[in-house]
Amino acid sequence: MKPEFFRVLGSPLFALALLALATLPLWLPSYYLNIAILTLIYVALALAWNIVGGIAGQISLAHSLFVGAGAMVASALLMKFGLNMWLGALLAALISAALAACIAWLDFRFRLGHLSFALITMAFAEMGELIVLGWDFLGGASGIYLPKDTGQLSQFQFGGSSGSFWVMLTLATICLIVNLAVLNSPLGYFLRAIRDNEHAAQAIGVALLRNKVLAMVISAVLSSLIGTAYARYISFVDPYLLASPVLTIEIVLFATIGGLGTVFGPVIGAGLLVPLGEILRGQLGGTLPGLHYFIYGVVLIVVILGTPRGLAPLLGRWTRQLIARAPRTG
Amino acid sequence: MDMLLQALAQGLLMGGTYGMVALGMGLIYGVSSIVNFSHGDFLSLGMFLCFSLYAAFALDPYVSLVFVFPALAALGALVYRFLIRPIVGNHLLMIIQLTLGLSFLLQNGLLMVYGGQPLRTPSFMESKLLILGDVVVRMPLVIAFAASIGMAGMLYFVLTRTDLGRSIRAVQQNAKAAALMGVNVSRVQLLTFAFGIALLAVAAVLLLPGTPIHPNQGMRYTVITLMTVVLGGMSNFAGILLGGLVIGLAEAIGTIYVSGVSGMILPYFIFVLIMLFRPAGLLERQG
Repeated sequence: MKPEFFRVLGSPLFALALLALATLPLWLPSYYLNIAILTLIYVALALAWNIVGGIAGQISLAHSLFVGAGAMVASALLMKFGLNMWLGALLAALISAALAACIAWLDFRFRLGHLSFALITMAFAEMGELIVLGWDFLGGASGIYLPKDTGQLSQFQFGGSSGSFWVMLTLATICLIVNLAVLNSPLGYFLRAIRDNEHAAQAIGVALLRNKVLAMVISAVLSSLIGTAYARYISFVDPYLLASPVLTIEIVLFATIGGLGTVFGPVIGAGLLVPLGEILRGQLGGTLPGLHYFIYGVVLIVVILGTPRGLAPLLGRWTRQLIARAPRTG
Repeated sequence: MDMLLQALAQGLLMGGTYGMVALGMGLIYGVSSIVNFSHGDFLSLGMFLCFSLYAAFALDPYVSLVFVFPALAALGALVYRFLIRPIVGNHLLMIIQLTLGLSFLLQNGLLMVYGGQPLRTPSFMESKLLILGDVVVRMPLVIAFAASIGMAGMLYFVLTRTDLGRSIRAVQQNAKAAALMGVNVSRVQLLTFAFGIALLAVAAVLLLPGTPIHPNQGMRYTVITLMTVVLGGMSNFAGILLGGLVIGLAEAIGTIYVSGVSGMILPYFIFVLIMLFRPAGLLERQG
């Protein structure tokens, strides 16, 4: 682990920001608190995806599989067999890990190019959604309703919005720390070498299979856990939301707009766009459905044409310029 | 046996149309290496334009083509000139991301204008059936298949016999050499993109009669088109048409033999299998 990892984690700014965020449920009105929860969910998902899509440069469109598995499997096991949702979350994460390992193995074994990888993962995601829709055990097209959240922690219940907020904050923080850890460990260097030139990486002895599987599995397990928590938070497990390939595309979009492969890119991308989208949807959703997605699309196109590496590097440059200019003007 | 024949007929007819939609994408890929993840949404846009023309002037979709074809061609040219040309030659992933953004924009633009209710556009052909022994197929499907084959033939003629076609093929084979021979590469790329999008107007008209349309459908068409193009080996014309037939047949057999939505898994499954064992496409020599 490089010292950079501890420098960011140990910085007072990081602790202060977390602390400030953690007090949100105490004073934020519930409408905005729910937007904050949704934002954290997407920040966490974008960070989880970033390990595969950003750091390793493999555009996986299969992540709705993992989120869906986390949400549908854990909920189905609870409702059909009364299995404790903590265990369900764990089982779902294991299933996601196995799926992820299979996909990474296929990628390695058949030497898929970028386009083939994107398409095959998309085909898997489409199949996943169809399986959920066609299989009553997983709720079919009508979804699964979870019992009311009474705040029993042992039953994976967190007591409404404030509890869910802290759970999501914890998950997002874990995803952030995992990203930092991967970036600053040998794994992160191997993955970036694979991203920049797969053949060259293999030639200098980077184990392709091991690193690809590892990245995919870490990313899938995180996505699956977020999926279970997401399902618990909304209580109605809707396959059209949680198992749909559109979810993955949203994640890809946030991560790309923020800046792929950076730690703060996905945080900035989802952190700016989700609240913007949700507030617009709240104001105009009745008259203009789809407006928030429309705006996501516009922002993505503008970012790709204007600052292809995302907003994070741009914001970083601006901050440095501001700091450099400050003594002269002040 | 009847069911099998019915599935085969249905699949072949659908597959031919998929093949034509995919030809446009294959042509664009061959000339400027663009993989367009918003292809299906342009098709969707074409269908909604036909619906509007019907709603406003009671035009039959087959007549609307006269207006929708140039409209999509112009839109394609504008999109290429202002959004895509600035990033041509960059990493493939950037083009995928940009066109995904375009797909979000188109799909939800349609949702904002037309709302989320499924819409139908009647046509005089809609309820006609073609009955051959035990096999019954909808007439619009037969027309779509015949027109697709016709379009493919015309495309072949344009590509092999006209100056524009020769320059398109020259750019496809080697853009640098084509430029040195005096071909205006960037003009060819623009025209090809506009033409590839305009082809979708034809497809929209052919697919529309009897099919309810919804803004969300674009993604599904994009996926089907991408699968077809990849199965065809990206820019091999015969391969793409064959890929369309494979996907169309898999879809028809899946939906007829397996009840419910599970049958729709079959085309994706077949696609993954073929991709793994013939990664360069159905007709390509394996490297």
